[in-house]
Amino acid sequence: MTVEYVDAGEAVNQATLNYKTPGADIAPPVLRDLTYERILNARSEPQNWLTYYGAYDGQRYSPLDQINTENVKRIGPAWVFQAGMTGIIAGASTYSFEAAPVVVDGVMFLSGWDGWLWALDAKTGTEIWRYKHAIPYDVSLCCGNVNRGVAVAQGKVFFVTANAHVLAIDATNGKRVWDKTYGDVRAGESATVAPLVVKNMVIVGSSGGEFGVRGHLDAFDLETGEHAWRCYTVPKPGEPGSETWPSDGEAWARGGANCWVTGTFDAETNLLYVGTGNPAPDFDGEVREGDNLYTDSIIAVDVDSGQIRWHYQCTPHDLWDYDSIGECILFESEGRKLLGHFDKNGYFFVLDRTDGALVQVTPFVDRIDWGAITRDGKVTPKKYPEKEGEPVHFYPGPAGAKEWTHAAYSPKTELFYVPVQDVGATATRRRREFKESIPYWGAGVQVDLDDMTGSVSAFDANGEEKWRWRNELPMCASVLATGGDLVFAGEPSGEFNALDARTGELLWQFQCGSGHHSSPTTYSVDGRQYIAVPVGWGGWAEGFLPGMLGAGHGSALLVFALPES
Amino acid sequence: MTTAQERSDLLEKIGLGTQNKAALGRVLGTGNIAQATEKDDGRMQATIRINPDELCFDPQILVMPHGGDIEIELINDDQNTHCALLPSNGDRKFIWLVNHSRGRATLNLDGPGYYWFSSPTGNDEGRGLTGAIVALGDVPPEARLDRPDQPRP
Repeated sequence: MTVEYVDAGEAVNQATLNYKTPGADIAPPVLRDLTYERILNARSEPQNWLTYYGAYDGQRYSPLDQINTENVKRIGPAWVFQAGMTGIIAGASTYSFEAAPVVVDGVMFLSGWDGWLWALDAKTGTEIWRYKHAIPYDVSLCCGNVNRGVAVAQGKVFFVTANAHVLAIDATNGKRVWDKTYGDVRAGESATVAPLVVKNMVIVGSSGGEFGVRGHLDAFDLETGEHAWRCYTVPKPGEPGSETWPSDGEAWARGGANCWVTGTFDAETNLLYVGTGNPAPDFDGEVREGDNLYTDSIIAVDVDSGQIRWHYQCTPHDLWDYDSIGECILFESEGRKLLGHFDKNGYFFVLDRTDGALVQVTPFVDRIDWGAITRDGKVTPKKYPEKEGEPVHFYPGPAGAKEWTHAAYSPKTELFYVPVQDVGATATRRRREFKESIPYWGAGVQVDLDDMTGSVSAFDANGEEKWRWRNELPMCASVLATGGDLVFAGEPSGEFNALDARTGELLWQFQCGSGHHSSPTTYSVDGRQYIAVPVGWGGWAEGFLPGMLGAGHGSALLVFALPES
Repeated sequence: MTTAQERSDLLEKIGLGTQNKAALGRVLGTGNIAQATEKDDGRMQATIRINPDELCFDPQILVMPHGGDIEIELINDDQNTHCALLPSNGDRKFIWLVNHSRGRATLNLDGPGYYWFSSPTGNDEGRGLTGAIVALGDVPPEARLDRPDQPRP
């Protein structure tokens, strides 16, 4: 006798198995009227953190001052969002919480690893909706399954996926509005960047510099997803800059220069300021003779056309994996429109952002021996992998004296605050044939397991160090500066610190249970200021701090505030 | 040492593709492979079963000719309850599969690449109820790099 099957029905969205009261899965339309003009004036609404860096200038500064040097010792956890992990994902051992939470009128938009996006109640931490993009298990990821954040505007949340899609999500219900592919996963491309909304466009960059790809920025129409422009960061033969690549062969086609960190924007110059990544292969320069433009450069890109207007190369013909993807912080000094940039190579550059002219360059870490850069910007390499099979040790290591994680600038103190990693590495050149989607480093690399240190260091615009808060371990997370004269900085060992912005004195500390490798932000709801920090060790730990490879993972967002009473 | 040609014989000889013979469970990647069929409208369809006492999806590797929408019929012929958590753009899809039950899942996946699915209850995943959905194809032409064709492995 045949027994009828039980009808198991239709598989449901997993989010429906996370109980919510009826209607609680719809967010208020806080982004409906979020225009370009509002983002342009982001600092005039300090209760919100409207864009990746908080404002287009990249300062990672908030005027909020309810939490200040006097009372910060009283703050404590207001709520915790535990993301966790279910099933088997790409980079299961290397995922990391690297985002900068964006908050608009009481709603937080937060991206995680592996295609996660959440809308949370910024006051309580309650999940409103989630979007989960399916990420291939076999996507090429040099540095873990990570994502650095979202952009928001005109009713939509924009974020990228590890398989190089850019998505527009309805901010009220978490449904996909449009979805565009902007990278080739078969070529080893991926995406980790937080998008930037400028005018009617959302702008994204590609990842994959360790796989011999050709870096690019892309702009898409906010409403339709129509492609507006692509800007390649390695020129083709015959284009300006192509003379810095070998005239024969296809080194340019594998040249790297990926823009995997969000740029900044000045509406007056109409320029995006974007840092570019390393050349490929990272450590084998013989196969790519020349300066290798526009790798390891700050490029100024006309936001309307996607054309490069000027460039400044921080490490010509890089042999140490010194991406210049670090943020370009826009500020004014003595009537000049300037740009500050802490580079992986250990030097703090200040440029005139109207034309790229060097204003000053100075080291910001104690140990630099890969080479030297003079006050007028002349670069002299000294130690680099040159002979096949011969180990060469150098400072800083390939994660840089500062990794992608961000410095901050307080217009109130007129100081820059930079998380410093003082750790070296040994690279042994090993030439290999290029094959699409296979790592293309040209060396074996081992970052030091000991003799390392770190700091949060404060510099003025002239490159003069004003104070230094020292740490036994390198500092691997972005810092946040506030109008309360505070600098927040997370440690690899889990501590989250508040420093006095004027002296560097440690005023408050909380052990978050896992290392920090993200970008804290601040906002307020109903007059109460909150500090939000995603916590979760992982990512490219073997690159920036292998001495902590054995530390536990984590995947929580912690939010702090003063007691309500 | 064994060779690829000897793989299935050696798996059977050692007992790696069976519950509680060599290992405690069935070693991952020892199940069957099948291809989804494509309908006229481009949507794809397939059936995945759980056979009695195997704790393995059949097929364990499902191949889609390209990314897109796929309708999967899930049949549990086992005498125990399992479930399925499946990848899909928007949200993962979950379904309980009690003994002798049949259900459906509609997924949307990008190509190319492969995705994990599993039965996330108890340790079904470790015992063998873990599978892969492979999407063949290439990214759209407009997403590819402007460069000459490059060598591949």
